[in-house]
Amino acid sequence: MPSNDSANVSFARTFAAGIWNENPVLRLLLGMCPTLAVTAAVKPALTMGLSVIFVLFCSNIVVSLMRNMLKPHLRILMFTLTISTFVTIADLFLKAFAPVMSETLGPYVPLIIVNCIIICRAEACASKNTLAVSIVDALGMGAGFTLTLCVLAGIRELLATGKVFEIQVMPGAFVPWAAMGMPVGAFITLGLLLGAVNLITRKNP
Amino acid sequence: MLKNVKYFAEQSWLLIAASFVFGLLLAVTNTAWGPMIEQNEINKFNNLASLLLTDASFETALKDVEVDSGKGKKIKTSIKKGVSRDSDCVGWAFVCEGSGFADKIKLVLTVDAAFEKLAGFGVLASNETPGFGDKIKGDYYRNQFVGAPAAQLVLSKTGDDKIIDNEIVAITGATVSSEAVVKTVNNYIKQIKTCMQTEGLLNNAE
Repeated sequence: MPSNDSANVSFARTFAAGIWNENPVLRLLLGMCPTLAVTAAVKPALTMGLSVIFVLFCSNIVVSLMRNMLKPHLRILMFTLTISTFVTIADLFLKAFAPVMSETLGPYVPLIIVNCIIICRAEACASKNTLAVSIVDALGMGAGFTLTLCVLAGIRELLATGKVFEIQVMPGAFVPWAAMGMPVGAFITLGLLLGAVNLITRKNP
Repeated sequence: MLKNVKYFAEQSWLLIAASFVFGLLLAVTNTAWGPMIEQNEINKFNNLASLLLTDASFETALKDVEVDSGKGKKIKTSIKKGVSRDSDCVGWAFVCEGSGFADKIKLVLTVDAAFEKLAGFGVLASNETPGFGDKIKGDYYRNQFVGAPAAQLVLSKTGDDKIIDNEIVAITGATVSSEAVVKTVNNYIKQIKTCMQTEGLLNNAE
């Protein structure tokens, strides 16, 4: 039986993997749709990230608990059923308590149902691992996704409006780059970020 | 037969149990938050409608009016009377619903007191494509309805959007969404007007 220390190290590694080594956006290239669509400003990006963390956390728990009862040919159906339940709850929550944000995010919250990150973690981790590992994995992957979205949104919002989190950062003389708030800005920023990450992680021959 | 039932139960019991539990969870959530969501929608309706009919407060004139969606389906809506501070009728507002490109489009439509001109529309809910169909929320498209006749509107792909008449110029790249709004407005204007005339509301307003 592993000691507490080695278990903690393993949990820390699983969590850290989601942030960097297996970052869902920058390394696995998953969840591109919300990454490109809701990163025009930090607030919606953060809300999307938190929604994904909630759904990932709950679905990983449920999938992990029922992993021994899953019939192989019905597992994708079970994952989708589980994920759609928690996405609907997240959507209702936003509509009830943050209606303006719900409207800003539009169809992208219901679209979490088909987000590859969540189905991928249910299939690759939660359906094969214990509850504790699944929870840590969900939090790590969710945090990695949220951080990436916020960094991307921060850069775009700063260059498109001169503000971050709606707070003026750039000097008055700064001319906003309107294109950064548009889809083209999302593609360019994501491409440059991916390039930077590849440069950092490139292994010397 | 029994063997088949047993096989079915063995294979699908988890799916059936999970569907029941998740369904229950959603029902509880909806019961708890449903009234808040409804209240948010009422607040949004009032905010949108009072922007279109400036400084008006709204009172329900007709409840549960059935409107044919055009596909044989009946949709219920309420007609609200916009009242000024001097208690004069300044117009009417109601929620319209129609099929958009991606999903249903819900609008708040306002008309003047005599039901002759549109006072404009506001988008209550839509999941139209961001950057294209969602431009129905923009001023370019919405301003064309302000002051337009409360009669059959026509959508055209080219034209002058500044001219206010029954011709609405479509949004480039979002013809389906533009058409959906015009169709919804046409459908509701005709039926609501008939209903209000039957109920004697229009004569009272005039």
